Amino acid sequence: MFVSDFRKEFYEVVQSQRVLLFVASDVDALCACKILQALFQCDHVQYTLVPVSGWQELETAFLEHKEQFRYFILINCGSNVDLLDILQPDEEAVFFVCDTHRPVNVVNVYSDTQIRLLIKQDDDLEVPAYEDIFRDEEEDEEHSGNEGDEGSEPSEKRTRLEEEIAAQTLKRRQRREWEARRRDVLFDYEQYEYHGTSAAMVMFDLAWLMSKDLSDMLWWAIVGLTDQWVQDKITQVKYVTDVGVLQRHVSRHSHRREDEAHALSVDCARISFEYDLRLALYQHWSLHDSLCNTCYTAARLQLWSLHGQKRLQEFLADVGLPLKQVKQKFQSMDVSLKENLREMIEESANKFGMKDMRVQTFSVHFGFKHKFLASDVVFATMSLMESPEHGSGTDSFTQALDSLSRGNLDKLYHGLELAKRQLRATQQTIASCLCTNLVVSQGPFLYCALMEGTPDVALFSKPASLSLLSRHLLKSFVCSTKNRRCKLLPLVMAAPLSAEQGTVTMVGIPPETDSSDRKNFFGRAFEKAAEGTNSRALHNHFDLSASWRRSPQQQPPPPISDLRPEVVLAGWQDTPASPGWGLQGGAAWLPHAQAVIELKAEDRSKFLDALVTLLS
Amino acid sequence: MFCEKAMELVRELHRAAEGRLPAFNEDGLRQVLEEMKALYEQNQSDVNEAKSSGRGDLIPTIKFRHCSLLRNQRCTVAYLYDRLLRIRALRWEYGSVLPSALRFHMSAEEYNSECQDSAFLCPESHSGKMDWFNRYKKSLATYMRSLGGDEGLDITQDMKPPKSLYIEVRCLKDYGEFEVEDGTSVLLKKNSQHFLPRWKCEQLIRQGILEHVLS
Repeated sequence: MFVSDFRKEFYEVVQSQRVLLFVASDVDALCACKILQALFQCDHVQYTLVPVSGWQELETAFLEHKEQFRYFILINCGSNVDLLDILQPDEEAVFFVCDTHRPVNVVNVYSDTQIRLLIKQDDDLEVPAYEDIFRDEEEDEEHSGNEGDEGSEPSEKRTRLEEEIAAQTLKRRQRREWEARRRDVLFDYEQYEYHGTSAAMVMFDLAWLMSKDLSDMLWWAIVGLTDQWVQDKITQVKYVTDVGVLQRHVSRHSHRREDEAHALSVDCARISFEYDLRLALYQHWSLHDSLCNTCYTAARLQLWSLHGQKRLQEFLADVGLPLKQVKQKFQSMDVSLKENLREMIEESANKFGMKDMRVQTFSVHFGFKHKFLASDVVFATMSLMESPEHGSGTDSFTQALDSLSRGNLDKLYHGLELAKRQLRATQQTIASCLCTNLVVSQGPFLYCALMEGTPDVALFSKPASLSLLSRHLLKSFVCSTKNRRCKLLPLVMAAPLSAEQGTVTMVGIPPETDSSDRKNFFGRAFEKAAEGTNSRALHNHFDLSASWRRSPQQQPPPPISDLRPEVVLAGWQDTPASPGWGLQGGAAWLPHAQAVIELKAEDRSKFLDALVTLLS
Repeated sequence: MFCEKAMELVRELHRAAEGRLPAFNEDGLRQVLEEMKALYEQNQSDVNEAKSSGRGDLIPTIKFRHCSLLRNQRCTVAYLYDRLLRIRALRWEYGSVLPSALRFHMSAEEYNSECQDSAFLCPESHSGKMDWFNRYKKSLATYMRSLGGDEGLDITQDMKPPKSLYIEVRCLKDYGEFEVEDGTSVLLKKNSQHFLPRWKCEQLIRQGILEHVLS
């Protein structure tokens, strides 16, 4: 059920209890978690925080901890599957789910006691009505056995029997129609996956409601929203609306600064609204590097080709920036050049076909030296969380969580360096894929596979990095190809996940259109394809959750001739909310514009074939 | 030269880092005491001779030996006293149960029930360090019980004034279940974070299982 009054029905309930927090591994979840932690610390609520990166971890952690806790809070995981079925909790366990994945599973919506959804209802949820989906098990045994009537005429009995039979047939037919309608309704509802309001913003709202919001929390909310934008999880319209909401908070927090008598000290965090350039990390890098490694500019200028490099030089000349200045660190550029930089770049960008060079965002200052844009922090935290240099997943999670605190700026700077490496690797991989024509059209979709020995391929084994790479690749490909039909195709991308186990991760990205509503259909497709071919696939990531299915039978390994352990297909999942570990190579609908699954390398080709047939 | 062994004892303690207790140098102490005994006996005989035969030229030698004896005594007392101070610090650091490695470094356990003061001031009697430690422990416990009304007050907790009732801790290794005061327990797994009452976590923080997270 949806929680209407967050304060009374959620916060005051858990305030006197001990709670267990399950936090998914993405930046938005981290930010929401920090806000909630700050609130809990303020009110001395004893909690335990467990990071989870997939369904298996969630289940294991739940089994370990379920004896000790009664209240569970799930952040960015769990709303799009039938939680009660997967976790099998006790009767008194209560789950509060704050998740951006949509569509929300109908069981979660209509469960009255155990599942409480911390989701604003003004998000476009479009939950189907209760009657369309659930039906009380009426007694179909409308005791038709009235044969034992005493003293009735045989003819009357026969008519009554006929009437009863007619009534039953009618009921059965109605039931069949109802079930068919139900299937349609559910299919429509769960066909596409998308994302709702950022979890960090929801938590910030709660804090604001209780008048306990601090500027730190506001900054985390901003970072959570920007993460959704960077990963293309929400539409542009929604982003702009949410930015407006946050801007009101920012002006409320910062009006104190204008009063000179009570000016804040230099070390306090000052958040301000900016209409800044879209270049990634440009203030911590050189402008030239940033232009080369931001997907937007690299794709539009086609920087992987020689022609593109020339265009870049022309662009810089048009803006009026000397090459020597542009190649050194941004902070050391001439002040006179930096003054009107944004406007000048925007003007020239318009001439070169880049209309959205500037974007509404926020920045934070503290001390004399530290200034960060929201997107900088998002990239840094994402790289920390997915960097292969830390051992296990939870180590990187704690690193990333720490880097969001203001006292751990060294970790943030380290994250920035990792982010630069990641962006460079992404652009180089894209350049090599495009130059060697690795992106082939399979008919209904484009397909690209990363080879095992590609440099930096280890950086792309985690879902978020791989999906970032895939999206950028698709954008660049669309800009580079002359084939009209190819521009409208979706992309399926594969990268090696683990050499010993021979698995690959597959990602599916919906086609690139201007007015895309960020709805992804690959989840379903992947699942279906995997089912059809009996491939051994694992939908472990939360985005695939809708197609998480348990198949107990073991499939014999199929004879595969050429297995490239690169491709993991994101399959389409279209079974609504059926829990289980699907041994299919299908990709699930990813709530955001990708579906990710892990697949055994051997099953890749047949999975691919099944996908082709499915989509054509 | 005389007193070198005693100097070595003192130097050994001086070299040991603050708070560490090196092994009890029984051998060294015994050598110092033997040296003192030898010096004393030589002095005895010389004093007798000087008194009887009136040889005044022995007096500087006697004086010299006497000074060495005093120096040896000062050094050994300093050695033993410093060790006692370190052992006392251990009680405050580790609680009433000492890790076995540390116990090994202390001298023999003889559970004499001599009074605490004499053990403190007469180190030559070799009454066990463990013994001293036990008695110090008991004395501290009696004192703590006498404070704070009926239940007593544990003054070894909260050595620095705490800033908050609850602290955020992160688990560095898998520990297992850990009981909280209302009977329920918390499972401490690697990299899980918890927000628990401060006094419950202090022990585990000292042992290195939990880590205080400052934000």
